[in-house]
Amino acid sequence: MSGPKALRQSFGLQLGSGLFLGLWCLIAAFPIVWIMVMSVKAPIDAFATNPADVLIGPATLAAGKGLSLPDLLFIAVFLALTVRGATRLLPRMVAGLGRPLIGWVVGTAAFVLLWLAAAVWIMGPLLRIDTGLGITPLIGFTTEHYRTVWVERAFWENFVNSVYVTLGVTVVSLTVGTFAGYALSRAGSTLAFGILIAALVFRALPHSVLVTGYLPFFITSSEWLAPVLGDNAPTLYGQPLAVIAVLVAINQPFTIWMLRSFFQSIPSELDEAARVDGCTHFQAFRWVIMPVMWPGVITTGLFSFLLGYNDYLVTSLLLDASNQTMVPAIASFFNRETTTTDQVLAVAAAVSITAPLFLLVMVFQRQIVSGLTAGAVKG
Amino acid sequence: MKTRTFAAFVAPSLVMMLIFIAAPLLYVFGQSFYLTTPVTEQMTVETCTPGFLTQNCTQETKSLPKLDEAGRIVTQTQFVGFGSYRAIIEPAKAWAAISTFDYRALMAIDFWRALRFTLMFTFVTLPLVLLVGLGVALAVNNTARTLRGPVIFVSLLPFIITPVIGALAIRWLFVSDGLLNNGLEWMLGHPVSMFSQGWTIEILMMFYRVWHVAPFAFIILYAGLQTLNHDALEAAMIDGASRWQRLRYVIVPHLMPLIIFVTLIHLMDAYRVFDEVVGFRAEAHVISLQYLTYDFLIPDSTGNRSISRAAASSMLTMVGILILLIPLLRRTWAQHRGSR
Amino acid sequence: MYLRKLALAGVFALMGTTAMAACAFENTTPLKSLTAGFEAWKSATGAMAECGNFTAELDQEFATKQAAAFGASPSLYHIGGVANETVVPLINGGLIRPLDDLVAKYGANLQPNQLIKVDGKIMAIAMMVNTQHLMYREDIFTELGLAVPTTYAEVLTAAEAIKASGKVEYPLGGTFKAGWNLGEEFVNMYMGLNPVMVNADGTPAINNEAGIQTLEMLKALTAYMHPEYLTSDSTFVQQQFQQGKIAMANLWASRGGAMDDPAESQVVGKINGAAAPAAVAGGAPATTLWWDGIVIAANITDAEAEAAFQVALEGIDTEMVTAHSDDAIWLIPGYTPGRLAGGAIATATATPSAPSYPSTTTQGLMHGALGNQLQAFFTGEKSAADTLAAVEADYTAAAKEAGVLK
Repeated sequence: MSGPKALRQSFGLQLGSGLFLGLWCLIAAFPIVWIMVMSVKAPIDAFATNPADVLIGPATLAAGKGLSLPDLLFIAVFLALTVRGATRLLPRMVAGLGRPLIGWVVGTAAFVLLWLAAAVWIMGPLLRIDTGLGITPLIGFTTEHYRTVWVERAFWENFVNSVYVTLGVTVVSLTVGTFAGYALSRAGSTLAFGILIAALVFRALPHSVLVTGYLPFFITSSEWLAPVLGDNAPTLYGQPLAVIAVLVAINQPFTIWMLRSFFQSIPSELDEAARVDGCTHFQAFRWVIMPVMWPGVITTGLFSFLLGYNDYLVTSLLLDASNQTMVPAIASFFNRETTTTDQVLAVAAAVSITAPLFLLVMVFQRQIVSGLTAGAVKG
Repeated sequence: MKTRTFAAFVAPSLVMMLIFIAAPLLYVFGQSFYLTTPVTEQMTVETCTPGFLTQNCTQETKSLPKLDEAGRIVTQTQFVGFGSYRAIIEPAKAWAAISTFDYRALMAIDFWRALRFTLMFTFVTLPLVLLVGLGVALAVNNTARTLRGPVIFVSLLPFIITPVIGALAIRWLFVSDGLLNNGLEWMLGHPVSMFSQGWTIEILMMFYRVWHVAPFAFIILYAGLQTLNHDALEAAMIDGASRWQRLRYVIVPHLMPLIIFVTLIHLMDAYRVFDEVVGFRAEAHVISLQYLTYDFLIPDSTGNRSISRAAASSMLTMVGILILLIPLLRRTWAQHRGSR
Repeated sequence: MYLRKLALAGVFALMGTTAMAACAFENTTPLKSLTAGFEAWKSATGAMAECGNFTAELDQEFATKQAAAFGASPSLYHIGGVANETVVPLINGGLIRPLDDLVAKYGANLQPNQLIKVDGKIMAIAMMVNTQHLMYREDIFTELGLAVPTTYAEVLTAAEAIKASGKVEYPLGGTFKAGWNLGEEFVNMYMGLNPVMVNADGTPAINNEAGIQTLEMLKALTAYMHPEYLTSDSTFVQQQFQQGKIAMANLWASRGGAMDDPAESQVVGKINGAAAPAAVAGGAPATTLWWDGIVIAANITDAEAEAAFQVALEGIDTEMVTAHSDDAIWLIPGYTPGRLAGGAIATATATPSAPSYPSTTTQGLMHGALGNQLQAFFTGEKSAADTLAAVEADYTAAAKEAGVLK
């Protein structure tokens, strides 16, 4: 650490702090790593009593599915390259483009497609080399559950729905939220503050109450909207758009609080100067504030993304099977009449849905910290 | 900023909150004072259902709801005042239990049982979340720059992972033959069942919550540490402040607004604890206030919901949260007044 | 070897095409169904989908929205999947249509046994029965020279013997998960002693000798179970069986088939089924008979209803049953019971026979109240009498809100 000399620490303290951090990382990562291990084993192994069986997977090996030493090496290299690509290459490419929002969306999508292609066409053949050479596999490994989930059970449909809902929530939330957050940061009135406090109280509401309040209205919406909209009145139940609206509303309090404190850290002299030059408030916002607001918006956007992507209560109650997102779809794998195979499939699905989150944090980690540091949270 | 411009900027956000949060809230508030029941009549009906080979027909006397001409169930709504609230709190029974110091009798009432757990959950996890978050933030800040990236990544995992899945991952580790449960059995030398008694389930639920939320506290506080003024630290150093004193008098005050922010968010989230109860199948041993509401709301298999009692119980939950938040809200309000 | 695989693939492909062409008519009306999500429904809705223009919603929590969705105008779904309990709100609300005309027109192949009649009108078509049966490890029973228990007293004796032998971790498994499952266990045992749970006037009738006996017997059983029995549902019990951790359990018939699935089970061929034990010697099996079947929504046009009924019948025809014989105890012609269905059929055909689960609002409310309150007895918070009193209080409050009790 390159801090001032006076702050240099004793060896004991360094060691203690290092050990604490190591322990924390172990606790943080272990449960997730463990379900990953379960997801690549045959059902008997995945739920075996002996942890060694879960790790090594004798039944999976017996079925002729496993990884040998060279395979493990290939995988390690592949993962290292993935991390490097996501944390170094991708941000640099996006920064080169100069258009933050579009750059990130296109860049991330391109990265994912490239990665999938590499996994199938490069890693696939590489992992088959050892069978050709007759090297015996060491640990059980099978991707069949993933194939079953994504191809046979058509989990990709849920993925598409999730992408739709999540992007909708993030985009609408940020658009609506930046305007409100900006106005709230520039207005000192008691009314403005009253809105903020009310938003805070709204945030405290238990969601189950809200959602169950919607359900009857959503189901019968074509009846009570008919006087206004005529015969085209939609049934809101099962409409991803309605779910997006609900999630945006639920997320608004947090979004406007974060954005407000972020905008407060942008000196108001900036937009006032633009106003003196004859801009309207909106123009000042568009040309002066927008170019400098991205760190805060990206950080806030990540929280919206997490909410939309991870939500269970709202999506499970308000969407039906044909447009269900991934989380309720997984929960339905776990429901009371399932078999062990279903459960392993659910584990595989659960691991798959964490993958985009991994990528997200890997790519945006610096932006999160810098956005927060720049003042997205001031209490 | 003129009021009209302000209104135009804030309107979309405000309208969404009013429609999707305030309106249901008012509706629920109103519902808690009324009781809607279907009008029923007694009828004797013959029902025939299948056995494996033959049919079983039985004559049953049932209470069936009356239908009007349009085929809808006829209902009657009556004003019950605080009746539903009384049905939940059971004030007479609760008072009798309190005045005789009968803890078990008090805990036999669902509301008080849920309140006890909810409060305990909130106040045990809060300091733990803050401490772990602060500890990790300081440790990460203390570590070599090259290591920070990976460490932050790993630290954030529990926070970003889908809660339903995170809870399952932890449950599997501790369920009867889970890895960590076996580890515990090996260490203690006797069989352990984490999910067979209330207090172990409570510990696991709290562990999960701290695991899940501490990274949020960590990342916020870590960002705060980046803006820490090193001059202040050095000045304290020159004044002879020990490491502990520097933490106590320089770093923590600097982070105070962030600590309060995390506290605020955590109080709200912890008070409506719900996912853990369902995820850990704790309902036999431990329930929370939001679970109580949910339980009233979910129709049983014959389609009945106790809307009135659910509304009352959610209102009680609301009141509880407000009481907890008032000190923090007052502080924020005072700051706002002062800053003008 | 390769050639043989190819030939096999060809056969499967052929079977596939015949199955696809199996639907007797081509459906042109867009139809949706809402059913539970267990194997039998997956098979039935899969067969319905072959007729085209059909989307199935398989949801284990379907009951939470079924009444509301069928009450919308027009109804959000055309075909519903229901059981004894879940059909009640649909009939009470007038949300499903009588099927007499449609059965007369299209239902020539239906067995008289499949027609669910309420007040003389056909309201639903049953496709399967479900009930509990006693599953046990035949190898352990033979080795220890134990007879298959026919009453719960004998279950306890056998469990003691198995425990003493140390063959398995826990002699018994049970679906005692707090809530609906635990309520169901109580209902089963209680009905084996006393068929009346709710009086004709809607007042509760379980706080009595039979109630106490039921609780005590259930508690006695738990002594031989995994200590986390209050979180144990049928998936968990099935897994315990498959991993060879338990030797006996009274489990749903629909869970039988998985015991012989080599991909999951370590005890293939070692498990057998017998009739559910009786609560008292010579009594009926202490369980209830359930049926699952289809209903057609009321709030849809007659043309839609006609198409929906034909599609639904295609889903529960002989062809589907022969392809998915092990998924359930089907009531449909062409069903040949598998090895593990024997116990359930013995339960269903026993004399005296187990009663059907009552399709009444009051029974549903009682089941809910039992599910809410019983766990306090098992955790030791309340005595048996206090627990039963709490159940009655819970039931009374709910029944007043539901309008069935003044």
